Amino acid sequence: MFNKKWTVLLLTLCLAVFAAGCGSGGGTEGAGGDKSSGSGEGEKVTVNFMHLWPAGVSAGQNKIVNQIIEDYQNENPNVTIKQEVLDNEQYKNKLKVLSASNELPDVGVTWAAGFLKPYVEGNLFAPVDDLLSGELNGKFVSGTTEAYAIDGKTYALPLEFNIAPVYYNKAIFEQYNLQVPQSYEEFKQIVKTLSDNGIAPIALGNKDRWTGSLWYMYLADRIGGQDTLASAISGDVSFKDESLVKAAAEIQSLVDGNAFVKGFNGLSNEEAKSEFLNGKAAMYMMGTWELPNFTTNEEIPQEFRDSVGFFKFPTVDGGKGDINSWVGGPGVGLFISEDSKVKEEAKKFVEYFVTKWGEQSVTGAGVIPATKVDTASLELPQLYIDLFNEMNQASSITLFADVQMEANAAETHLNMIQALFGKAVTPENFSDEHDKAVSKGK
Amino acid sequence: MIQGAAGQLRSRPSRSGGGGARKLGYTLLYVVLIGVAVFQLFPLVWLLLFSLKNNQEVFDLPPLSLPMNPRWENYEKVWSAGNISVYFLNSVWITVAATVLTIMLGSLVTFAITRMKWKGSSFVLGLFMVAMMIPVHSTLIPLFSLFNKAGLTDHPVSLILSYVAFNMPITIMILLGFYYTLPREVEEAAVMDGCSVHRVFFRIVLPMTGSVLATTAIINMIYNWNEFIFVNTFISSDMFKTLTVGVQNFIGQYTTDWGAIGATLMISILPILLMFLFLSDRIVEGIAAGSVKG
Amino acid sequence: MDKVMSNKKVIALYVLPALLVIMAIVYIPIVLTAFYGLNEWNGIGAMTFIGLDNYQALLSDGKFWDSAWHSLLLAVFSALSLIVYLAVAMVLSSKIKGAGLFRKIYLIPMLLSSVAIAQLWLRMYHPTNGIVNSFLESIGITNPPAWLAEPSLVLYALFIPILWQYAGFYILIYYAALKNIPASLVEAAKIDGATSLQIAFRIKLPLIMEVIKVTIVLAVVGSLKYFDLIFVMTDGGPNGASEVMASYMYHTAFRAYDFGYGSAIGFFLLVICLLVTWVIRKLTATKDTIQYS
Repeated sequence: MFNKKWTVLLLTLCLAVFAAGCGSGGGTEGAGGDKSSGSGEGEKVTVNFMHLWPAGVSAGQNKIVNQIIEDYQNENPNVTIKQEVLDNEQYKNKLKVLSASNELPDVGVTWAAGFLKPYVEGNLFAPVDDLLSGELNGKFVSGTTEAYAIDGKTYALPLEFNIAPVYYNKAIFEQYNLQVPQSYEEFKQIVKTLSDNGIAPIALGNKDRWTGSLWYMYLADRIGGQDTLASAISGDVSFKDESLVKAAAEIQSLVDGNAFVKGFNGLSNEEAKSEFLNGKAAMYMMGTWELPNFTTNEEIPQEFRDSVGFFKFPTVDGGKGDINSWVGGPGVGLFISEDSKVKEEAKKFVEYFVTKWGEQSVTGAGVIPATKVDTASLELPQLYIDLFNEMNQASSITLFADVQMEANAAETHLNMIQALFGKAVTPENFSDEHDKAVSKGK
Repeated sequence: MIQGAAGQLRSRPSRSGGGGARKLGYTLLYVVLIGVAVFQLFPLVWLLLFSLKNNQEVFDLPPLSLPMNPRWENYEKVWSAGNISVYFLNSVWITVAATVLTIMLGSLVTFAITRMKWKGSSFVLGLFMVAMMIPVHSTLIPLFSLFNKAGLTDHPVSLILSYVAFNMPITIMILLGFYYTLPREVEEAAVMDGCSVHRVFFRIVLPMTGSVLATTAIINMIYNWNEFIFVNTFISSDMFKTLTVGVQNFIGQYTTDWGAIGATLMISILPILLMFLFLSDRIVEGIAAGSVKG
Repeated sequence: MDKVMSNKKVIALYVLPALLVIMAIVYIPIVLTAFYGLNEWNGIGAMTFIGLDNYQALLSDGKFWDSAWHSLLLAVFSALSLIVYLAVAMVLSSKIKGAGLFRKIYLIPMLLSSVAIAQLWLRMYHPTNGIVNSFLESIGITNPPAWLAEPSLVLYALFIPILWQYAGFYILIYYAALKNIPASLVEAAKIDGATSLQIAFRIKLPLIMEVIKVTIVLAVVGSLKYFDLIFVMTDGGPNGASEVMASYMYHTAFRAYDFGYGSAIGFFLLVICLLVTWVIRKLTATKDTIQYS
């Protein structure tokens, strides 16, 4: 049992700790982490960098990040880059808490458009136009940095660029004598054949909701055309446009035809992906960030990787869409905190990072960077080369709806997507709710 | 439902003492107990099994089949990734420190409330009980700001203080129930003999609560060991992070490798499991000691 | 006696440390949260004071009341499951062979973090690959439901792991309370010819009534603010069928960037918990507190 001495000791300790906590509250020293102020030549500087590539989850990216930081520190011995690594969902939460207390890291990861907007309006992110017009001028794939621009200023530099094709399992297609669909009618026929044979046609993890959003966006694009979809998302056209309602109805008829894996509304994207990776489902629509799993990832059997192909979402008869119109866009980008005490150092680091990332990310992590890649000089799997080509001849790329919309509207969109797939709303209600949400944000 | 059945079953052996019915009763009782045990253990057995398989085996074999050749490399892979040992040590000392503090402070408060006479004791008790109803997430942002102003973010003290504060109500609540049932004669006699309050508390009352303390210790440890959201929010340096954050960073959102996830979960469970098996014998001793006295 | 036991300095020394900690860590933040609830704030920019608008909006927010209903259902389930836990604890505390082992086994799930439990049960419920459906199919049920994707089933499906998770906790508390009953009382009753059933209901139950009341409050309040498992397993879906108050607050504040409104929900959740606790206390109030002596 505790004796008296110990208890007294503990009590004192506790009180002391507590008093210390209160005491140092008075003499606060802007606990942003960087105790060294100023950024003069040769002076020791610490740049805090928060990112979302933990070694366990994103090994490839993590390795590149560490490599870049090491190189940078070697070239700039006065600079220390202090990393903080969190998993995706936790990263978003922490960013939120930090920004509420105005304690953002000097450099961090952000998403585009709707995600970025409140941070920009709150004056938390620094514009990076000087970097864009400097050494990085012309290095980005066109259309990528725009997604991070608000009112003519750019607030982050993109690291990734993705489009979403439909991947399919060639072995399963062969087994049932199926060809890549040229039209949506053929696509529906494929779905029917597979489903009749007891194979789940499409892997979809709609617990995450943005996954289902991809399907709706493509149908809207192919039926109503890219203009209609884009204007609806920006609030210039009603979602009750005939073609958009029809796209929503088409989703439900796919659901009725058992096009998606069982229980898709309760499955996460990861779980759904497993179905595809293990040959339990024939098709899977996802961003090009999945390419490593279909090409270089040694943990996935060679046999499976060899049998993955992709096709573009087919056109719909009588629809206004173009087969070369894609859903996609830049993924994450790097921001610099407006209140950073080492802003100049942070900017230099970001510039360096983006350049190096562009050189290493394809081969090192299978990430398609937002900076231009010279595919001829790299030895890449065929799937990459094909998709790079598709990107180059894309007629348009519509940014993921949930990224584009403001947070509030995006939540409604995503919830409605799940409800639409779960047949809890009619296509008309679905469109109605979208109009309300989008107009509220305007 | 089960209660009724159990009660009746128990009633037979003690009174009627008859042969067949009694045996049947016992058998049924054990069937129920074992059934519950299987229900409680079964998912973990399954977890152990799939932590030793690779994805093909998980997907293609029946769930309860033994792995053909156990893949211990799943464990190796998980263990070698990241700073598991640092996280582990942090988890241990932060858990222990917060638990000891909580139990100590909680015992003092409970003693003062149940044994001492002062105005406002029920109000203070109310303050502690109400605190139990506060959802953690709604305090997150203001709490971070406070710690930040006090210069305690990215410092283990912020975790310990949070754990103590948020576990205090349930600790006091459990202690309270026991303090009420403790006989008062001994302490009354001690006070008559001129003992100081400290002596009464530390020498007489506290030792009598041994079994409860073990119970609250286990509950506190489990909470602290598994706590996630505070570590994730308040701590940014790797050197202060705990095992749950490590596990989360490993499981993440992007992993499809069932075997590795299973191995990670097993690794995160094992230490607390061992600690529990060790401590739970202490509880039995504590309880035994308590009942002899009673 | 009274003089010694009402020494103000001692009382302050015993109570103040804990009180200070809880004030600083729990009460100051919740007061701030209540204040945020009076503002329109996305958590990033400037706050705009809007008075009680958020709270008013909350009262007519159908989604919030749906989530409140789901929380209430969970609370009722949890309270009912206490009967099972109590029964098991009663059996274990009577002198039965292997009680120690059973008690240990029952507590094991409690040792797992919610994240781990959620990951595990996600896999249990997997529509095609999970053990639940594999089992159902093996006993001849074709096409068993996808538990977490069916709005009508999901809440019940989520309750099973919650039941599983907390069984050990409550059994432990009941067990410890039952073991604390002086053996002499039970022996005396036996000599008087009471059956085990009578001993259980007439002696043991009344003696641990305080503990039972405590656990009812614990279970109900715990359920009302329950978050972890649901967040990982269904994220409130599908179509909001498993959205509970705490997850609704989280989604509003952290996903939809409506921090003012989210704070209002958080504060309102506290008010609901207080109300419910008060009601439970009223319902279970007994005048005579039983003492051994």
